[in-house]
Amino acid sequence: MRAVQVIAVREFASFFRLPVGWVVIALYLLLTGLVFGAMVLRPGEAASLRSFFGWANWLLLPIAPAVSMRLFSEETRSGTAEGLMTAPVSDAAVVMGKFAGGGMFLAALLLPTLVYVVVLGGASDPAPDPGPIVAGYLSLVLVSGLYLSIGLLASSLTSNQTLAFIGTLLGLVIVLMVTSTASGWAPAWLADLLAALSIPARVGDFAKGVIDTGNVVFFVAATAWFLVLTYVAVGSRRWR
Amino acid sequence: MIEVRDIAKSFGRVRAVRGVSFDVGRGEVAGLLGANGAGKTTTLRMITGFLPPDAGVIRIVGLDMAQQSVEARRRIGYLPESAPAYSEMLARDYLTYRARLFGMDRRAVRARVGHVMDRCGLGPVARRRIGHLSKGFRQRVGLASALLHDPEVLVLDEPTNGLDPAQIRAARELIKELAQDRTVLISSHILPEIELVCDRVIIMAAGRVRADGRVSELLAGSDDLARYYVEIRPKADGVGTAGEAAVELVRAIRGVRSARLNGRHGEWAKVTIDAERGAGDLREPIAVAAGRAGALVRELHADKPSLERLFLRIMETEETPGGGENREERR
Repeated sequence: MRAVQVIAVREFASFFRLPVGWVVIALYLLLTGLVFGAMVLRPGEAASLRSFFGWANWLLLPIAPAVSMRLFSEETRSGTAEGLMTAPVSDAAVVMGKFAGGGMFLAALLLPTLVYVVVLGGASDPAPDPGPIVAGYLSLVLVSGLYLSIGLLASSLTSNQTLAFIGTLLGLVIVLMVTSTASGWAPAWLADLLAALSIPARVGDFAKGVIDTGNVVFFVAATAWFLVLTYVAVGSRRWR
Repeated sequence: MIEVRDIAKSFGRVRAVRGVSFDVGRGEVAGLLGANGAGKTTTLRMITGFLPPDAGVIRIVGLDMAQQSVEARRRIGYLPESAPAYSEMLARDYLTYRARLFGMDRRAVRARVGHVMDRCGLGPVARRRIGHLSKGFRQRVGLASALLHDPEVLVLDEPTNGLDPAQIRAARELIKELAQDRTVLISSHILPEIELVCDRVIIMAAGRVRADGRVSELLAGSDDLARYYVEIRPKADGVGTAGEAAVELVRAIRGVRSARLNGRHGEWAKVTIDAERGAGDLREPIAVAAGRAGALVRELHADKPSLERLFLRIMETEETPGGGENREERR
């Protein structure tokens, strides 16, 4: 557990030692800020952050892979993996530490957006309904975790960060497209199955303010699945 | 302390290490020698738990690397080749991170980081980014990191790589000092370096151990590794050149395996002589033979059998057809 924390803190701090961490945060806040200003904070509009959450979720699509791409690839490329993997820490601790470090960075990215909640609360009367806001943030956290775990797997498979980024992004886009359009082309049984895997559909439930246990379990289980795959990939690298 | 039994490792069709066994005892400093591609780094990576062997057993302080990997790794201080470290981190922060990764508590971290930084002379660069350090300092950061948890076993892959002569000397002193109560395994291809630091050498070629023992033992009885240099002026006989005459004169001496011309200055010929096994010291026979033939000698000296010559001979046998079955298998 201690090793997970040590690795996570190092990863988290290293995002801020490099310009890329600051650039990603600035970009995310700029874009979500524009959405907030242009689409949420409008006179006569209902006090809801729904459009903000919609956009914030889409923006995670390029951002999460940008965060995850270096986690393993950079270690392999620069040779620091040798120091890490010969330290007395288990492969599981390494994977969890990397995941937690990336997760902490994404949390740091989402944290400033709470300002929007405060501003909206101050500007609107009656005050916004807290249910959809809590559910919306929960969806952001769950989607971040899932994207991050997929990106972590890609990063563990290549020493090339760009490849890890493009692989993750492409994989996510394909999954989103296939699951979202399934009803149009797939036979009924397959369409149902694919629809059940649709991330936007589940995010839509959260946006309505509904915290469905099934949706939470879906994200947690999928994230855990990709972490296990990453663990296997890291282990197989060691034992190749 | 380090037990290696019949380990092997292949990468695809390349058999990098094939059946290597050796032991390194407590307080012993062993040098692992070999040309590039001999399998040194792969062997060290298996010993430190980075790569698993395809076959064989590795024990560190009695702990099986396959079964008790984490515990075994805790006993090893490892400096990987070219000392990779996170370039964006400050030297001190990096060492602090490594100390915590090895499970030290806050107080121990501070004490040990301070200690190894002193020991490796890192004070002046404590607050510099590793990526901005010279190669010598980066190497020292790697060495400091290997010493942090005061390991019983030190494994150093090319520790003097990239150091200047003064730093090499300092590193050598440090390694000797560290070796007093530790087991040290060093890989290098700088032979004089190994001769100065190590009690014992293990020479690898084509993934196998080709020689293992104390330097003095390995060189004992190998007086065929001695080489003589003589500058000689044969008596002019009008037949052939001075060089040919000189080589012929020397070749006739008992105990000479081969002689070849190595340059001329007017009538003076420089000849390099290799001895046969059991020939003893050839300097006197050379001088006597030259006197008898009416030739003059103005320089004569012997290079004692050296690790370098032994090493080169092993490399040569590796390269001759049939000597290295490696080639056959790689084809």
